[in-house]
Amino acid sequence: MHNSTKIDTRFEGGPAAPSVTLEQVSFAYPGEQIFRSLNFTVKGGQWTCLIGPSGCGKSTLLRLISGTLREGLSGRIHFSDGNNHKGLTAWMSQKDLLLPWLSVVDNVCLGARLRGEMTAKKRLKAMSLLEDAGLGEYANVLPSSLSGGMRQRVALLRTLMEERSVILMDEPFSALDALTRLKLQDLAARLVEGATVLMVTHDPLEALRLGHRIYVMTDRPAKLSDALIPPGSPPRNPGDSAIISMQATLLERLEGRDKS
Amino acid sequence: MKHKYLIVFFIAAALLGGVSKPLAASEKMTVVLDWFVNPDHGPLFIALEKGFFSRQGLDVSFQVPSNPNDPPKLVAAKNADIAVSYQPQHYLHVDQGLPLVRIATLVATPLNSLVVLADSGIKNFAQLKGKTVGYSIGGFETVILKVMLESQGLSLDTVKLVNVNFSLSPSLFSKSTDAVIGAFRNFELNQMDIEGRPGRAFYVEEYGIPSYDELILVARREGTKELKFRKFVDALEEGVQFLVNHPDESWKLFIRGRKDLDNQLNRLAWRDTLPRFALRPGALDRARYQRFAKFLKKQGLIKKVPQLDDYAVELPIVHP
Amino acid sequence: MTFIRPIVILFGLVLIWQTIVLVTGVPAYILPGPMSVAEAFLSHTGPLFEHAMTTLLEIIAGLLIGTLLGASNALVMIASRSLKRWLLPVLVISQAIPVFALAPLLVLWLGYGMSSKIAMAVLIIFFPVTAAFYDGMRSTEPEWLELAQVMNAKPMAIIRHVRIPAALPAFASGLRVATAVAPIGAVVGEWVGSSSGLGFYMLHANARMQIDIMFAALSLLCIVSLMLYFLVDRAMIKIVYWQKEGNKKEARHL
Repeated sequence: MHNSTKIDTRFEGGPAAPSVTLEQVSFAYPGEQIFRSLNFTVKGGQWTCLIGPSGCGKSTLLRLISGTLREGLSGRIHFSDGNNHKGLTAWMSQKDLLLPWLSVVDNVCLGARLRGEMTAKKRLKAMSLLEDAGLGEYANVLPSSLSGGMRQRVALLRTLMEERSVILMDEPFSALDALTRLKLQDLAARLVEGATVLMVTHDPLEALRLGHRIYVMTDRPAKLSDALIPPGSPPRNPGDSAIISMQATLLERLEGRDKS
Repeated sequence: MKHKYLIVFFIAAALLGGVSKPLAASEKMTVVLDWFVNPDHGPLFIALEKGFFSRQGLDVSFQVPSNPNDPPKLVAAKNADIAVSYQPQHYLHVDQGLPLVRIATLVATPLNSLVVLADSGIKNFAQLKGKTVGYSIGGFETVILKVMLESQGLSLDTVKLVNVNFSLSPSLFSKSTDAVIGAFRNFELNQMDIEGRPGRAFYVEEYGIPSYDELILVARREGTKELKFRKFVDALEEGVQFLVNHPDESWKLFIRGRKDLDNQLNRLAWRDTLPRFALRPGALDRARYQRFAKFLKKQGLIKKVPQLDDYAVELPIVHP
Repeated sequence: MTFIRPIVILFGLVLIWQTIVLVTGVPAYILPGPMSVAEAFLSHTGPLFEHAMTTLLEIIAGLLIGTLLGASNALVMIASRSLKRWLLPVLVISQAIPVFALAPLLVLWLGYGMSSKIAMAVLIIFFPVTAAFYDGMRSTEPEWLELAQVMNAKPMAIIRHVRIPAALPAFASGLRVATAVAPIGAVVGEWVGSSSGLGFYMLHANARMQIDIMFAALSLLCIVSLMLYFLVDRAMIKIVYWQKEGNKKEARHL
């Protein structure tokens, strides 16, 4: 895999990535109160990881911020630079969501296509992203010819093409094998430097490798723990003793709060 | 001494045997009609209702076909005994190898006619030039039309032909056609009268078509040696006879148990069909049949003129 | 290579047919043998192909118009929920009415020319095409739609760039069904009122008890339908190019 630093971290030098604040946010599905008067701030320009047991509302929180969930929401979600949700976040899911009829490079440019903003310049940009991620020769093939790890790499590049300062990730690497996962974590950490990232994961090691701050979400309605701030900058070495001990702490928090 | 009982036994057996003969099951016969039951089938149903068939020891049932082309095929394939057919089509069937013979005539005149709306202004045949003529597929309406036109000095390509299948008068009413061929004069004209849009008919036999029997009965060639066919024809003859002698009572018999036939159209058609039934159903005019065969050959509809006995017979008398 | 199997199957069927005719001695006016049908075919090639042209045109026109109408209908139903509520019952009714019952009415309204036959074909394929396309669009992967929403795409763009391509495989199978049944519409229309076409020709031959000619026309109709199906199938494969079985060149490196 290439290790070039040719991909410019576009967020550096530009306006600082905004923070996302949830103020007294309540949300319920019919019969299920997911959040009640939740107050939470995702720090701008940093990678925040959200970890917790399945079904506690982590993905729901992401969707409230992305704007795809509206009904039943009360309270306020706002971005520190004054804009509203619409068109301000980028989304990456556990599934690569590559459209099977588009070539790899067309998938990377999906956002521009959908918004009717496609230009030759954008295409060149996508090509260079692919080159630097080591996928240059696959630019014009269909996603079906790629492995799972390669596809998720393309999805990551697509997310970056959006050039959004707030990136939402819903367990993006959980479907990959351990080695591929590590490599992609490194790539992602390098590429999204400077953006505000909120990532949901169920893997404590992943959270410790990538997050500037880690929150544990538990209970129903969901509550967030205090922030856990690992030392050093991501991507962190999994063999680091501090990381290993923090992993134990995280697991405790997860288990401890689990039975309530 | 013992022989006395034996003799009594044998006499009793003989008597019983003799007595049981009339009790023997009557012969079943199926007759496939050419179309739905209508006044054209009058004599058949009179014979049925008056018991003329059962008097001959025949248990006759009538079938209505789903497709008018089926009846001869059903008889040829031994799925029925008798079919109501049309003399003109009969030659085509025989030409194609169907082993059928005509055994009786039901309607002894042509019924086919070319019909126009009375208010269409077409008063003589020559005025058909350039007009649209609708037909239903029977196999040779184009030939009929051609001969009729030629009798007036016109050729077939001066008219436009359109297949309207069975919607003859509707196509006249909707003006999609100017004239229709294949309309039965006893039916179509009455139907048009009832709709308040009377028609005018040109009778095919008056325009160059040799006269023929519109409705005949056909059966399998080898089967006609069986006595039941002659008995059938005899019963049919009684039916026509009764019809001619008692037309009003016959109508009541016709609709007995078939209430859906009791409508204005059928009543009018009954009146118009009465004079056209063959008074002697079994009789065969040999020259008339050969004349029509030659006509069809000349028009290229059949490959060769068949031997008369191969396709039309008078069934021989039944010895009691 | 792909043609050998169908040809062998065809040959086998013809052989079975000839054997049945020989063994049962069935008369020619009930079931003619393949030889007499072939003879009838060769001696009537002119009119047979002429009539075949008429029927083929009716089928193709019916397919084009029916597909257009069906696809547009499905698009309207996807784009507007309120319109969908009105159109869905209409769709279901169009399927419930047997076309045979409507045929005489269509001929009455549209005349004896090609338009009534085309209308019949359109009626027959309207439901399969609409239903397939609509279902395909309706069951688009919800996470794709979610991604498109986050990307700020307008509803029309989502339909155009996501729902429609995602529905193409379903649409293709609907179109294949339509191609298979459109000939029925054309032929039934011809039976009810026409002056040309293979359906008309078959009726004509049947009335004259020329069953061998009728079978020849029927065979030609089968051939035409098969060719059309083959063409449409190929076209669909090209249109849904991304669906290839066994194309998994899994690259195991990163």
